[in-house]
Amino acid sequence: MKVQVLQENLQRGLAIVGRAVATRSTLPITANVLLQTDKGRLKLAATDLDIAISAWVGAKIDEEGATTVPSRLITDFVSSLPPATALLEIPDRGRQVRLECARNESTITAMDAEDFPRINSISDGVAVQLEPRALRRAIDRVEFAAASDDSRPVLTGVHVKSAPHEKTGAPTLTLASADGFRLAVAEITLSALPDDPIEVIIPARALRELGRLANDANEPIEMRINAQKTQVQFAMTDVELVAQLIQGTFPNYRQLIPESSGTTCTVSVEEFKRETRIAAIFARDGSGIIRLQLQPNSGLPGTLTISARADEIGNNEGSIDAEIVGDATKIAFNSRYLQDVLNALSVEKVALEMTSPSSQGVFRPVGETDYVHVVMPMFVQC
Amino acid sequence: MPLAGPCAAYDGHDTMTRPAGPTVLHVDLDAFFVSMELLRHPELRGLPVVVAGGLGPRGVVNTCSYEARRFGVHSAMPVGRARQLCPRAVFLASDYAYYGVASQRFHSILRDYTPLVEPAGADEAYLDVAGCEQLFGDGEAIAGDIRRRVSAEIGITASVGVSGNKLVSKVASDASKPDGLVVVPLGGEAAFLGPRPLRDLPMIGPKTAEVLAGLGVRTIGELAAVAVGHLESRFGRHGLELHERALGRFDSPVLAGRGEAKSVSREMTFEQDEASEDRLRAVLRGQAERVAADLVRQGKAGRTVTLKLRFPPFETLTRSATRPSPTGLADELFETALELFERAWSENARRPVRLIGLGATNLQEPARQLRLGETLERDRVAETVAAIRDRFGDGAVKRGAELMRGPGR
Repeated sequence: MKVQVLQENLQRGLAIVGRAVATRSTLPITANVLLQTDKGRLKLAATDLDIAISAWVGAKIDEEGATTVPSRLITDFVSSLPPATALLEIPDRGRQVRLECARNESTITAMDAEDFPRINSISDGVAVQLEPRALRRAIDRVEFAAASDDSRPVLTGVHVKSAPHEKTGAPTLTLASADGFRLAVAEITLSALPDDPIEVIIPARALRELGRLANDANEPIEMRINAQKTQVQFAMTDVELVAQLIQGTFPNYRQLIPESSGTTCTVSVEEFKRETRIAAIFARDGSGIIRLQLQPNSGLPGTLTISARADEIGNNEGSIDAEIVGDATKIAFNSRYLQDVLNALSVEKVALEMTSPSSQGVFRPVGETDYVHVVMPMFVQC
Repeated sequence: MPLAGPCAAYDGHDTMTRPAGPTVLHVDLDAFFVSMELLRHPELRGLPVVVAGGLGPRGVVNTCSYEARRFGVHSAMPVGRARQLCPRAVFLASDYAYYGVASQRFHSILRDYTPLVEPAGADEAYLDVAGCEQLFGDGEAIAGDIRRRVSAEIGITASVGVSGNKLVSKVASDASKPDGLVVVPLGGEAAFLGPRPLRDLPMIGPKTAEVLAGLGVRTIGELAAVAVGHLESRFGRHGLELHERALGRFDSPVLAGRGEAKSVSREMTFEQDEASEDRLRAVLRGQAERVAADLVRQGKAGRTVTLKLRFPPFETLTRSATRPSPTGLADELFETALELFERAWSENARRPVRLIGLGATNLQEPARQLRLGETLERDRVAETVAAIRDRFGDGAVKRGAELMRGPGR
């Protein structure tokens, strides 16, 4: 193999696929990056067996071939090189990759590309086109609510389903995640429904990586599920992400979103976030609880009081103006869950709907119908 | 560490100078649980009575009457064994709610004399009455007064040891039991301990005693005479400690609980090192129940669960885990402690265990993260169970697991 590639292109490609490199694996080759000539370009790929990312960069192919090199070494090395043309070369049956750039030359011990896990491109199954910004926004609003411990594997994933919208009938892709204590549901309007309905569970980690990649994407992203429904592929210009789907049944979450509420409190997201951030400083040394008090004031703006106390540290209480419909009430939340949902809302105002201190709090961005977030409260004695 | 007496604020009076007599008291209620049972079952007086955590064969004896002790029954013994030793004993299940009230009364009597009260359990505590002589008399007088009040106000007896430090006072109160008072004058510690058997000294368990017996040491006085270097070669850094204690030297001061407990725990030393996983689990389960009950009484929940294991002779390890939210539920305490135990025990080749303990620290207001779709049913059940127990005793409602069935059934 003999390839000439611009240092910037190689660096960018390595940064993209580097996110899929295995960090703790019993299979040593998964700590490597695959470098392979592919139809006049250089293909880079990495996988930790759960997800795989491939990227193609422009290159001048002098001789076809493939090899794998340790990801960390080549990434650190290439990113330190000056911007110039790099020459990649492996002598036949060689175990050493030679890399020459400007007046710097190095050899890196390689592992045989034949031993690298096979990454299949999916071309069968069912596909749907997604607008990158809408996808990114939906991912950012749901992925954090997925479970981080894998005691219930389906909860570490995001449930993705295509269907006509319940109310408007518009073609819609719904993303939902829940970790047992909270639930996030975001909708993306599609240009058209896929030929067959899609209903899969995608690992939250794969979507997190996709969210990063989608940042750079301008063209629609194709999501494709293979015919066996075991893998999902997201194809962008020059980049592909393939992930294993999580098998199992996602809990029926619709019933957890109440239709009606006793009290609705509408406040500025900025102010709510600020007071919550302050209260969290006190809460973190105590039980991690933030208490909310909703106080209507007939005809006039009501008050939302945000407070926290730590037995040996002290107390904090902040108030903000609130538009409150319904009775005065209170509720307590885990400070992290409250901060997470407020950080995910990229709007001016949020409505908190609740019925009792021991039933779910429902957060909705005001003026948008494509997102809802449910948080279970903390049960406190007083 | 010099410790200002609680009444040191009255400075300037020459009568308030440091007292000449011993001021550290160890007050211990005699066979507390049994005494409480005899109060409400006077017909059992004079009979061997055993109060146990559970009445099944794998339950553990908490306390037994002096009559039962004559048959060789003692606390921490499996109920099955106690039944063998003393088949005609009356076995009763512990009723923590009932004892708890008396325990609170006991501690409040102690605090009438000095705020410097260090609780050492439901039924014992250390006091330092230095500086309180003007008000209540010397250590001996206060000890007598406490004994009279416990008898009059609770209806049971207490034994008290008075000396210059906690260690000697503890040995003295044990020596005075039941219903006694022993005062060890300052400077007389070594002479008091000398003739006593080794096992009277706290920190000397059966195994240490055995090793020392091999060296020809049977009394505390003989231990005091062994060269420190020799002890250190056998017991490592505990050698010096053994030597100092044998001489009655102990410098840990009486520390008042800072108003609220920082932790709640239960531990148990086995008479014979325990290697049965079933039994260790059962003990842990019982400890989780007790700790949970204490937490409820204090209106607290623990976020960190601590497991303590000791392998012979003094190899002690503690492991702890912090839960996402504080808990006061026995199930959750047990679940976390069991995980810690299983890991720590396998790491230590599942060797026989001398002591096992479970504690809850990082105490906070009780709060629980509700799960999606959850209603408050579980808490209502817990409240109902607590109410039944308060009214009819701990034994009125039990978990199946607490019946401690053997394996394979």
